[in-house]
Amino acid sequence: MPFSYYARLTRSQQAVYRKSDEVAAVRLPNPAALHAAVTALTTALATEDRAQVQRATERLIRGLTDALGVPPVQVEVLAARPHAGWGELHGLYTVERGKPPKIQLWMRTAKQRRVVAFRTYLRTLLHEVGHHLDYALLRLRDSYHTEGFYKRESSLFHQLVAERRTPWPTVDAWFQRTPDERLARLASTPGQVASVVEGRSERALARRPAPGAWAPVEVLCHLRDTEEMFGERFVAILTMDEPVLPKVGPAARWAEERQYLRHDAAVALAHFRRRRGESLEALVSMSPSDWQRGGEHPERGRLSVDMFVAMMAWHDDNHLEQLTRAVEGQP
Amino acid sequence: MPTMEEYAKQPREQRMQRLTRTADELAAAVKGQSDAVLSRRPDAKNWAAKEIVCHLRDAEEAFGGRFEQILAMDTDPKVGGPNADRIAEERQYLRNDTTDALAAFRRRRQETLEVFGKLTPAQWDKGAIHPVRGRITIDGFLTLMAWHDDNHLDQLARALDGRA
Repeated sequence: MPFSYYARLTRSQQAVYRKSDEVAAVRLPNPAALHAAVTALTTALATEDRAQVQRATERLIRGLTDALGVPPVQVEVLAARPHAGWGELHGLYTVERGKPPKIQLWMRTAKQRRVVAFRTYLRTLLHEVGHHLDYALLRLRDSYHTEGFYKRESSLFHQLVAERRTPWPTVDAWFQRTPDERLARLASTPGQVASVVEGRSERALARRPAPGAWAPVEVLCHLRDTEEMFGERFVAILTMDEPVLPKVGPAARWAEERQYLRHDAAVALAHFRRRRGESLEALVSMSPSDWQRGGEHPERGRLSVDMFVAMMAWHDDNHLEQLTRAVEGQP
Repeated sequence: MPTMEEYAKQPREQRMQRLTRTADELAAAVKGQSDAVLSRRPDAKNWAAKEIVCHLRDAEEAFGGRFEQILAMDTDPKVGGPNADRIAEERQYLRNDTTDALAAFRRRRQETLEVFGKLTPAQWDKGAIHPVRGRITIDGFLTLMAWHDDNHLDQLARALDGRA
């Protein structure tokens, strides 16, 4: 399903779009060879020093272009992102006749001037490299933001950042799905949770499958309290311009302080259901532009409503799976 | 019991002292009380002693989140007053253990005092926009917290006596 702007392209542009959309991944011959450069970039960002970030960024991008056998690209790391009514510019790829192609990346947020979170920065870097690869590797006449383009960006990201692989769709996979699919996932969760815990005694629901692993009732309370937090995030994002979203929890501290093990599971589920209903009401009443509004998380970087909905869908998957294991006595 | 206005006139150090004493005063008030007494609501609407302790614990966390946001932003964030009754119901305060809730409040309060101890004069004047109270600086929040502590300590003493 092409993005809506596809209809406005000429026929030859549409052909380029379709070619871009068909390629879902860019495989690096030896991703492990670039892991040291990724680590160096993490360290450089932590120093908040532009010159160090410039060097680490150049090293990683050069490593990528060499590994893929494409011409190098100039790299420039700048400080605070330019911004205006349309939002903030995270990165830019430019090709001008007679000049080598160039990638510009901004390492600080526009207003707070905070250093961008590592994953956000790496995503932006790979996004701009993706444009370069469209021309230099895939030999496309233009570089469009297609679904295939975003998949290629993700494929590079996952080769460079080792993550725990899970059998359920990751946040990124949810992010690729339509808003309706994600909302349908959120709407089905209270019913699925109810069917997992139905008929189980309070004692069974308060039993931890292993020391340090949550009991079913703790998972329910976590879903309830997280839903309250998501609701607060949406209010903050809609009533302020790019607010800072304070860290919360962490979840394990909530579980201990709020004494989840003492809670009644059925009551917790009822309250989760009510909070989830409120979240869904808020989300469906938002406009498409509201979904693109966001805030700055101190650890995760900028998060839009759109991304939160993907995170919530993934979070539901994750905890439903955990809940299913917990009722069976499995950590 | 000083009013908010009277607290606002007190030196900052004196208001901080009020916050420092609260955990011990709560501990003294609930010491030796049975769980039945701590869980007894004076009437259908008013909180039992343990609900007040849980409220102070969760309010302290909420204050901490606000301070983090105020300090991190260049403009005044908009903050809403949480619905304390709804939270008391949802977080099932009546099923909590009072001693554990008090210990958690004590930790959170210590963290608040540590944040206050590191603030520069300019940071004390940073603030947030409250829908009812208007702009409140962090110094104003300190005043509010001192009054809030008094208010709930008083409510706790009444609840233990079975009075609303």
